[in-house]
Amino acid sequence: MMNPKKRWGKRWASRALISLGLLAAGCAALFFALPALLIAPAIVEKSDVILYGALSKHSAADKYVIDLYRRGVARKIVCVGSQVSWELYPSDYARESLVSQGVHAEDVISLRLPLAPCGGAELPRIVEFVKAHGWKSALYVTHPEDSRYTDNLARRFFEREGVALSVSYSPEDREELTRNWWRTHWKTQRMVGEAMIIALDRFYSECR
Amino acid sequence: MEQDEEMRMKDVIQALNHYIRSRRARVLLIVFVCMLGAYFLTPVLLNKAAEGLIREDRIVKSDVIVALAGDYRCNREKRAAELWRQGWADNVVVSGMSYAWGFHTGEAARLYVMSLGVPEEKIYMICETLNTRAEARALDDLMRERGWNSAIIVTSAFHSRRATYTVERAAPGRSFYSSPVPTGSPEWTPRAWWSRRDDVYVTVREFTSWANTLVGGWQ
Repeated sequence: MMNPKKRWGKRWASRALISLGLLAAGCAALFFALPALLIAPAIVEKSDVILYGALSKHSAADKYVIDLYRRGVARKIVCVGSQVSWELYPSDYARESLVSQGVHAEDVISLRLPLAPCGGAELPRIVEFVKAHGWKSALYVTHPEDSRYTDNLARRFFEREGVALSVSYSPEDREELTRNWWRTHWKTQRMVGEAMIIALDRFYSECR
Repeated sequence: MEQDEEMRMKDVIQALNHYIRSRRARVLLIVFVCMLGAYFLTPVLLNKAAEGLIREDRIVKSDVIVALAGDYRCNREKRAAELWRQGWADNVVVSGMSYAWGFHTGEAARLYVMSLGVPEEKIYMICETLNTRAEARALDDLMRERGWNSAIIVTSAFHSRRATYTVERAAPGRSFYSSPVPTGSPEWTPRAWWSRRDDVYVTVREFTSWANTLVGGWQ
Protein backbone atom coordinates (compact mmCIF):
# COMPACT_ATOMS: atom_id res chain seq x y z
CA MET A 1 0.00 0.00 0.00
CA MET A 2 1.28 3.44 -0.94
CA ASN A 3 1.51 6.04 1.79
CA PRO A 4 -1.46 8.52 1.36
CA LYS A 5 0.96 11.47 1.55
CA LYS A 6 3.07 9.98 -1.22
CA ARG A 7 -0.04 9.30 -3.31
CA TRP A 8 -1.14 12.91 -2.83
CA GLY A 9 2.29 14.16 -3.86
CA LYS A 10 2.36 11.95 -6.92
CA ARG A 11 -1.09 13.11 -7.99
CA TRP A 12 -0.06 16.78 -7.75
CA ALA A 13 3.24 16.13 -9.50
CA SER A 14 1.45 14.50 -12.43
CA ARG A 15 -1.06 17.37 -12.55
CA ALA A 16 1.79 19.90 -12.60
CA LEU A 17 3.56 17.96 -15.35
CA ILE A 18 0.42 17.77 -17.47
CA SER A 19 -0.17 21.52 -17.00
CA LEU A 20 3.41 22.30 -17.99
CA GLY A 21 3.14 20.01 -21.01
CA LEU A 22 -0.08 21.69 -22.11
CA LEU A 23 1.47 25.14 -21.63
CA ALA A 24 4.52 24.16 -23.67
CA ALA A 25 2.30 22.70 -26.42
CA GLY A 26 0.21 25.88 -26.42
CA CYS A 27 3.32 28.07 -26.71
CA ALA A 28 4.68 25.93 -29.54
CA ALA A 29 1.34 26.03 -31.38
CA LEU A 30 1.19 29.81 -30.95
CA PHE A 31 4.76 30.19 -32.19
CA PHE A 32 4.17 28.21 -35.37
CA ALA A 33 0.85 29.97 -35.94
CA LEU A 34 2.52 33.41 -35.93
CA PRO A 35 2.56 33.89 -39.73
CA ALA A 36 -1.15 33.07 -39.94
CA LEU A 37 -1.92 35.34 -37.01
CA LEU A 38 0.21 38.30 -38.05
CA ILE A 39 -0.07 38.39 -41.83
CA ALA A 40 -3.38 39.69 -43.17
CA PRO A 41 -4.47 39.34 -46.80
CA ALA A 42 -2.97 42.14 -48.91
CA ILE A 43 -5.67 44.58 -50.01
CA VAL A 44 -4.95 46.95 -52.87
CA GLU A 45 -7.44 49.73 -53.45
CA LYS A 46 -7.09 52.70 -55.75
CA SER A 47 -5.84 55.54 -53.56
CA ASP A 48 -4.51 59.07 -53.70
CA VAL A 49 -1.14 58.07 -52.26
CA ILE A 50 1.03 55.04 -51.54
CA LEU A 51 2.67 55.20 -48.12
CA TYR A 52 5.81 53.12 -48.51
CA GLY A 53 6.75 52.01 -45.02
CA ALA A 54 8.42 48.65 -45.69
CA LEU A 55 11.91 50.13 -45.48
CA SER A 56 14.26 47.59 -43.95
CA LYS A 57 17.33 45.60 -44.82
CA HIS A 58 15.39 42.51 -45.86
CA SER A 59 12.64 44.19 -47.81
CA ALA A 60 12.42 44.10 -51.59
CA ALA A 61 9.24 46.11 -51.88
CA ASP A 62 10.62 48.69 -54.35
CA LYS A 63 9.51 46.63 -57.32
CA TYR A 64 6.06 46.13 -55.85
CA VAL A 65 5.57 49.84 -55.16
CA ILE A 66 6.74 50.75 -58.67
CA ASP A 67 4.35 48.19 -60.10
CA LEU A 68 1.45 49.70 -58.12
CA TYR A 69 2.44 53.18 -59.33
CA ARG A 70 2.66 52.06 -62.96
CA ARG A 71 -0.72 50.34 -62.71
CA GLY A 72 -2.16 53.66 -61.61
CA VAL A 73 -3.18 52.49 -58.15
CA ALA A 74 -1.91 55.86 -56.85
CA ARG A 75 -0.21 58.88 -58.40
CA LYS A 76 1.96 59.82 -55.48
CA ILE A 77 4.36 57.84 -53.29
CA VAL A 78 5.55 58.82 -49.84
CA CYS A 79 8.52 56.86 -48.45
CA VAL A 80 8.08 56.91 -44.68
CA GLY A 81 10.71 56.10 -42.06
CA SER A 82 12.87 57.21 -39.18
CA GLN A 83 16.67 57.22 -38.92
CA VAL A 84 18.61 53.96 -38.68
CA SER A 85 21.92 55.64 -37.84
CA TRP A 86 23.22 59.17 -37.47
CA GLU A 87 21.17 61.35 -39.88
CA LEU A 88 20.64 58.31 -42.06
CA TYR A 89 17.09 57.94 -43.32
CA PRO A 90 16.29 54.92 -45.51
CA SER A 91 13.29 56.82 -46.87
CA ASP A 92 15.68 59.24 -48.67
CA TYR A 93 17.45 56.33 -50.36
CA ALA A 94 14.21 54.53 -51.19
CA ARG A 95 13.00 57.71 -52.88
CA GLU A 96 16.20 57.96 -54.94
CA SER A 97 15.89 54.30 -55.86
CA LEU A 98 12.29 54.72 -57.05
CA VAL A 99 13.24 57.78 -59.10
CA SER A 100 16.18 55.90 -60.68
CA GLN A 101 13.73 53.16 -61.69
CA GLY A 102 11.44 55.50 -63.58
CA VAL A 103 9.05 57.02 -61.07
CA HIS A 104 8.70 60.79 -61.70
CA ALA A 105 10.73 62.68 -59.11
CA GLU A 106 7.85 65.06 -58.40
CA ASP A 107 5.64 62.08 -57.51
CA VAL A 108 7.86 60.72 -54.73
CA ILE A 109 8.40 62.33 -51.34
CA SER A 110 10.57 61.21 -48.45
CA LEU A 111 8.92 61.73 -45.07
CA ARG A 112 11.45 61.67 -42.25
CA LEU A 113 9.90 60.71 -38.95
CA PRO A 114 11.47 61.19 -35.54
CA LEU A 115 12.30 58.02 -33.61
CA ALA A 116 9.14 56.86 -31.89
CA PRO A 117 8.59 54.11 -29.34
CA CYS A 118 5.71 52.55 -31.28
CA GLY A 119 3.43 52.84 -34.29
CA GLY A 120 0.75 54.57 -32.27
CA ALA A 121 3.16 57.42 -31.57
CA GLU A 122 4.24 57.97 -35.18
CA LEU A 123 0.94 57.42 -36.99
CA PRO A 124 -0.53 60.84 -36.08
CA ARG A 125 2.39 62.50 -37.94
CA ILE A 126 1.76 60.43 -41.04
CA VAL A 127 -1.98 61.18 -40.94
CA GLU A 128 -1.21 64.86 -40.48
CA PHE A 129 1.09 64.79 -43.53
CA VAL A 130 -1.52 63.01 -45.65
CA LYS A 131 -4.22 65.47 -44.61
CA ALA A 132 -1.95 68.46 -45.24
CA HIS A 133 -1.63 67.33 -48.86
CA GLY A 134 -5.38 66.98 -49.21
CA TRP A 135 -5.28 63.24 -49.89
CA LYS A 136 -8.47 61.37 -48.97
CA SER A 137 -7.28 57.78 -49.36
CA ALA A 138 -4.01 55.97 -48.82
CA LEU A 139 -2.50 52.58 -49.50
CA TYR A 140 -0.04 51.62 -46.79
CA VAL A 141 2.69 49.24 -48.01
CA THR A 142 4.21 47.67 -44.93
CA HIS A 143 6.10 44.55 -43.84
CA PRO A 144 4.02 41.37 -44.15
CA GLU A 145 4.24 40.51 -40.44
CA ASP A 146 3.03 44.00 -39.60
CA SER A 147 0.04 43.93 -41.97
CA ARG A 148 -2.75 42.75 -39.67
CA TYR A 149 -1.74 45.05 -36.89
CA THR A 150 -1.26 48.05 -39.17
CA ASP A 151 -4.63 47.35 -40.72
CA ASN A 152 -6.14 47.43 -37.26
CA LEU A 153 -4.17 50.28 -35.67
CA ALA A 154 -3.49 52.62 -38.60
CA ARG A 155 -7.02 52.33 -39.94
CA ARG A 156 -8.33 53.80 -36.67
CA PHE A 157 -5.97 56.78 -36.87
CA PHE A 158 -6.67 57.42 -40.56
CA GLU A 159 -10.42 56.92 -40.50
CA ARG A 160 -10.75 59.17 -37.47
CA GLU A 161 -9.42 61.94 -39.73
CA GLY A 162 -11.59 60.97 -42.68
CA VAL A 163 -8.85 59.26 -44.72
CA ALA A 164 -9.63 55.83 -46.20
CA LEU A 165 -6.86 53.27 -45.75
CA SER A 166 -5.96 49.91 -47.24
CA VAL A 167 -2.92 47.87 -46.22
CA SER A 168 -0.74 45.77 -48.47
CA TYR A 169 2.76 44.30 -48.76
CA SER A 170 5.06 42.88 -51.37
CA PRO A 171 4.24 39.24 -52.23
CA GLU A 172 7.99 38.64 -52.58
CA ASP A 173 8.55 39.91 -49.06
CA ARG A 174 5.88 37.58 -47.78
CA GLU A 175 7.32 34.60 -49.60
CA GLU A 176 10.80 35.33 -48.32
CA LEU A 177 9.68 35.95 -44.74
CA THR A 178 7.57 32.82 -44.42
CA ARG A 179 10.11 30.48 -46.03
CA ASN A 180 11.66 28.42 -43.19
CA TRP A 181 11.11 31.38 -40.94
CA TRP A 182 11.53 29.47 -37.65
CA ARG A 183 15.07 28.49 -38.68
CA THR A 184 16.29 31.96 -39.55
CA HIS A 185 17.35 34.44 -36.88
CA TRP A 186 16.10 37.67 -38.45
CA LYS A 187 12.77 36.15 -39.54
CA THR A 188 12.04 34.71 -36.11
CA GLN A 189 13.16 37.96 -34.53
CA ARG A 190 10.71 39.94 -36.67
CA MET A 191 7.79 37.59 -36.07
CA VAL A 192 8.31 37.39 -32.31
CA GLY A 193 9.07 41.12 -32.12
CA GLU A 194 5.79 41.93 -33.85
CA ALA A 195 3.86 39.59 -31.54
CA MET A 196 5.46 41.34 -28.57
CA ILE A 197 4.57 44.77 -29.92
CA ILE A 198 0.93 43.78 -30.34
CA ALA A 199 0.77 42.30 -26.85
CA LEU A 200 2.46 45.32 -25.25
CA ASP A 201 0.31 47.88 -27.05
CA ARG A 202 -2.74 46.33 -25.39
CA PHE A 203 -1.36 47.09 -21.96
CA TYR A 204 0.18 50.52 -22.52
CA SER A 205 -2.27 53.22 -23.55
CA GLU A 206 0.26 55.58 -25.20
CA CYS A 207 0.54 53.20 -28.16
CA ARG A 208 -3.10 52.41 -28.82
CA MET B 1 -31.76 32.97 28.17
CA GLU B 2 -28.33 34.10 29.32
CA GLN B 3 -27.22 30.50 29.65
CA ASP B 4 -28.36 29.77 26.06
CA GLU B 5 -26.37 32.67 24.75
CA GLU B 6 -23.31 31.62 26.70
CA MET B 7 -23.61 28.10 25.27
CA ARG B 8 -23.87 29.48 21.76
CA MET B 9 -20.79 31.65 22.25
CA LYS B 10 -18.87 28.64 23.56
CA ASP B 11 -19.92 26.64 20.49
CA VAL B 12 -18.75 29.40 18.15
CA ILE B 13 -15.40 29.72 19.94
CA GLN B 14 -14.96 25.97 19.88
CA ALA B 15 -15.73 25.83 16.15
CA LEU B 16 -13.28 28.67 15.51
CA ASN B 17 -10.57 26.95 17.54
CA HIS B 18 -11.19 23.78 15.66
CA TYR B 19 -10.98 25.60 12.30
CA ILE B 20 -7.77 27.40 13.24
CA ARG B 21 -6.16 24.04 13.97
CA SER B 22 -7.49 22.53 10.74
CA ARG B 23 -5.35 21.84 7.67
CA ARG B 24 -7.39 24.15 5.44
CA ALA B 25 -6.68 27.12 7.70
CA ARG B 26 -2.97 26.35 7.60
CA VAL B 27 -3.02 26.11 3.80
CA LEU B 28 -4.93 29.40 3.54
CA LEU B 29 -2.43 31.09 5.83
CA ILE B 30 0.49 29.81 3.75
CA VAL B 31 -1.18 30.98 0.52
CA PHE B 32 -1.83 34.41 2.05
CA VAL B 33 1.76 34.77 3.25
CA CYS B 34 3.04 33.67 -0.17
CA MET B 35 0.82 36.19 -1.95
CA LEU B 36 1.93 38.95 0.39
CA GLY B 37 5.56 37.96 -0.16
CA ALA B 38 5.09 37.86 -3.93
CA TYR B 39 3.45 41.31 -3.85
CA PHE B 40 6.39 42.89 -2.08
CA LEU B 41 9.18 40.78 -3.57
CA THR B 42 8.20 40.81 -7.27
CA PRO B 43 9.27 44.43 -7.94
CA VAL B 44 12.55 43.81 -6.12
CA LEU B 45 13.23 40.66 -8.13
CA LEU B 46 12.25 42.29 -11.43
CA ASN B 47 14.55 45.24 -10.74
CA LYS B 48 17.38 42.88 -9.81
CA ALA B 49 16.82 40.81 -12.95
CA ALA B 50 17.01 43.92 -15.14
CA GLU B 51 20.08 45.24 -13.33
CA GLY B 52 21.64 41.84 -13.91
CA LEU B 53 21.66 42.57 -17.63
CA ILE B 54 24.20 45.35 -17.09
CA ARG B 55 27.92 44.74 -16.95
CA GLU B 56 30.16 47.67 -16.20
CA ASP B 57 33.85 46.94 -15.71
CA ARG B 58 36.63 49.12 -14.40
CA ILE B 59 38.18 49.99 -17.72
CA VAL B 60 41.90 49.92 -18.40
CA LYS B 61 43.83 51.34 -21.35
CA SER B 62 43.17 49.03 -24.29
CA ASP B 63 44.02 48.62 -27.95
CA VAL B 64 40.61 49.56 -29.24
CA ILE B 65 37.17 50.89 -28.29
CA VAL B 66 34.33 49.05 -30.01
CA ALA B 67 30.91 50.66 -30.50
CA LEU B 68 28.52 47.84 -31.31
CA ALA B 69 25.80 48.34 -33.92
CA GLY B 70 22.08 48.66 -33.37
CA ASP B 71 21.64 52.05 -31.75
CA TYR B 72 19.61 54.31 -34.02
CA ARG B 73 20.39 57.31 -31.83
CA CYS B 74 24.14 56.58 -32.00
CA ASN B 75 24.65 56.98 -28.26
CA ARG B 76 27.07 54.04 -28.38
CA GLU B 77 29.25 55.81 -30.94
CA LYS B 78 29.03 59.02 -28.92
CA ARG B 79 30.27 57.19 -25.80
CA ALA B 80 33.05 55.48 -27.78
CA ALA B 81 34.27 58.86 -29.05
CA GLU B 82 34.13 60.22 -25.50
CA LEU B 83 36.29 57.33 -24.22
CA TRP B 84 38.71 57.86 -27.12
CA ARG B 85 39.06 61.53 -26.23
CA GLN B 86 39.80 60.50 -22.64
CA GLY B 87 42.65 58.38 -23.99
CA TRP B 88 41.43 54.88 -23.10
CA ALA B 89 42.48 53.50 -26.53
CA ASP B 90 44.07 54.65 -29.77
CA ASN B 91 41.53 53.15 -32.13
CA VAL B 92 37.77 53.01 -32.51
CA VAL B 93 35.73 50.32 -34.24
CA VAL B 94 32.22 51.03 -35.46
CA SER B 95 29.84 48.45 -36.78
CA GLY B 96 26.81 48.24 -39.05
CA MET B 97 25.22 46.65 -42.05
CA SER B 98 24.39 47.50 -45.63
CA TYR B 99 20.93 48.05 -47.03
CA ALA B 100 19.69 47.21 -50.51
CA TRP B 101 19.55 50.92 -51.42
CA GLY B 102 23.33 51.17 -51.26
CA PHE B 103 24.01 52.73 -47.88
CA HIS B 104 25.76 51.32 -44.85
CA THR B 105 24.82 52.15 -41.26
CA GLY B 106 28.44 51.58 -40.21
CA GLU B 107 29.53 54.27 -42.66
CA ALA B 108 27.09 56.73 -41.08
CA ALA B 109 28.40 55.75 -37.65
CA ARG B 110 31.98 56.30 -38.87
CA LEU B 111 31.12 59.80 -40.12
CA TYR B 112 29.44 60.57 -36.82
CA VAL B 113 32.48 59.43 -34.81
CA MET B 114 34.69 61.56 -37.08
CA SER B 115 32.43 64.57 -36.43
CA LEU B 116 33.12 64.01 -32.72
CA GLY B 117 36.84 64.43 -33.23
CA VAL B 118 38.23 60.93 -33.86
CA PRO B 119 40.62 61.02 -36.88
CA GLU B 120 39.57 58.96 -39.91
CA GLU B 121 42.71 56.77 -39.80
CA LYS B 122 41.89 55.69 -36.25
CA ILE B 123 38.43 54.38 -37.15
CA TYR B 124 37.83 50.83 -38.35
CA MET B 125 34.58 49.27 -39.44
CA ILE B 126 33.08 45.81 -39.22
CA CYS B 127 30.36 45.04 -41.73
CA GLU B 128 27.31 42.81 -42.15
CA THR B 129 26.69 42.34 -38.48
CA LEU B 130 23.13 41.06 -38.32
CA ASN B 131 23.36 40.02 -34.67
CA THR B 132 25.72 40.09 -31.70
CA ARG B 133 27.31 36.72 -32.44
CA ALA B 134 28.09 37.65 -36.03
CA GLU B 135 29.49 40.94 -34.75
CA ALA B 136 31.67 39.12 -32.19
CA ARG B 137 33.13 36.85 -34.89
CA ALA B 138 33.84 39.82 -37.18
CA LEU B 139 35.48 41.66 -34.28
CA ASP B 140 37.65 38.64 -33.49
CA ASP B 141 38.82 38.52 -37.13
CA LEU B 142 39.64 42.24 -37.12
CA MET B 143 41.52 42.03 -33.80
CA ARG B 144 43.57 39.09 -35.08
CA GLU B 145 44.34 40.94 -38.32
CA ARG B 146 45.42 44.14 -36.50
CA GLY B 147 47.22 42.34 -33.65
CA TRP B 148 44.98 43.86 -30.96
CA ASN B 149 44.61 42.01 -27.67
CA SER B 150 42.28 44.12 -25.61
CA ALA B 151 39.11 46.07 -26.26
CA ILE B 152 36.57 48.22 -24.48
CA ILE B 153 33.08 47.18 -25.52
CA VAL B 154 30.58 50.03 -25.73
CA THR B 155 26.94 49.17 -26.14
CA SER B 156 23.58 49.95 -24.55
CA ALA B 157 23.37 49.06 -20.87
CA PHE B 158 20.75 46.31 -21.33
CA HIS B 159 22.96 44.66 -23.97
CA SER B 160 26.27 45.03 -22.14
CA ARG B 161 26.46 41.72 -20.25
CA ARG B 162 25.36 39.58 -23.19
CA ALA B 163 27.56 41.46 -25.67
CA THR B 164 30.67 41.12 -23.52
CA TYR B 165 29.88 37.46 -22.80
CA THR B 166 29.44 36.77 -26.54
CA VAL B 167 32.60 38.60 -27.51
CA GLU B 168 34.63 36.83 -24.80
CA ARG B 169 33.40 33.47 -26.07
CA ALA B 170 34.16 34.32 -29.67
CA ALA B 171 37.67 35.58 -28.90
CA PRO B 172 39.13 33.60 -26.00
CA GLY B 173 42.52 34.76 -24.79
CA ARG B 174 41.83 38.45 -25.33
CA SER B 175 40.75 40.97 -22.71
CA PHE B 176 37.43 42.78 -22.93
CA TYR B 177 36.07 45.50 -20.69
CA SER B 178 32.47 46.64 -20.75
CA SER B 179 31.69 50.34 -20.59
CA PRO B 180 28.02 50.75 -21.50
CA VAL B 181 26.05 53.86 -22.37
CA PRO B 182 24.54 55.27 -19.16
CA THR B 183 20.95 54.26 -18.45
CA GLY B 184 18.08 56.74 -18.42
CA SER B 185 15.66 58.26 -20.93
CA PRO B 186 15.64 58.03 -23.94
CA GLU B 187 17.88 55.02 -23.33
CA TRP B 188 16.70 52.06 -21.28
CA THR B 189 16.01 52.45 -17.55
CA PRO B 190 16.11 49.27 -15.45
CA ARG B 191 14.34 50.68 -12.39
CA ALA B 192 10.60 49.80 -12.56
CA TRP B 193 11.05 48.83 -16.20
CA TRP B 194 7.67 47.06 -16.28
CA SER B 195 5.89 50.41 -15.97
CA ARG B 196 7.17 51.75 -19.30
CA ARG B 197 6.25 50.13 -22.59
CA ASP B 198 9.57 50.81 -24.29
CA ASP B 199 11.58 49.37 -21.44
CA VAL B 200 9.35 46.29 -21.20
CA TYR B 201 9.95 45.58 -24.87
CA VAL B 202 13.70 45.98 -24.57
CA THR B 203 13.98 43.99 -21.32
CA VAL B 204 11.83 41.05 -22.41
CA ARG B 205 13.59 40.91 -25.77
CA GLU B 206 16.96 40.92 -24.01
CA PHE B 207 15.96 38.03 -21.73
CA THR B 208 14.81 36.11 -24.81
CA SER B 209 18.09 36.86 -26.55
CA TRP B 210 20.00 35.65 -23.50
CA ALA B 211 18.09 32.37 -23.62
CA ASN B 212 18.88 32.07 -27.32
CA THR B 213 22.56 32.83 -26.74
CA LEU B 214 22.87 30.30 -23.91
CA VAL B 215 21.22 27.44 -25.80
CA GLY B 216 23.10 28.36 -28.98
CA GLY B 217 19.87 28.69 -30.94
CA TRP B 218 19.24 30.97 -33.92
CA GLN B 219 22.46 32.35 -35.35
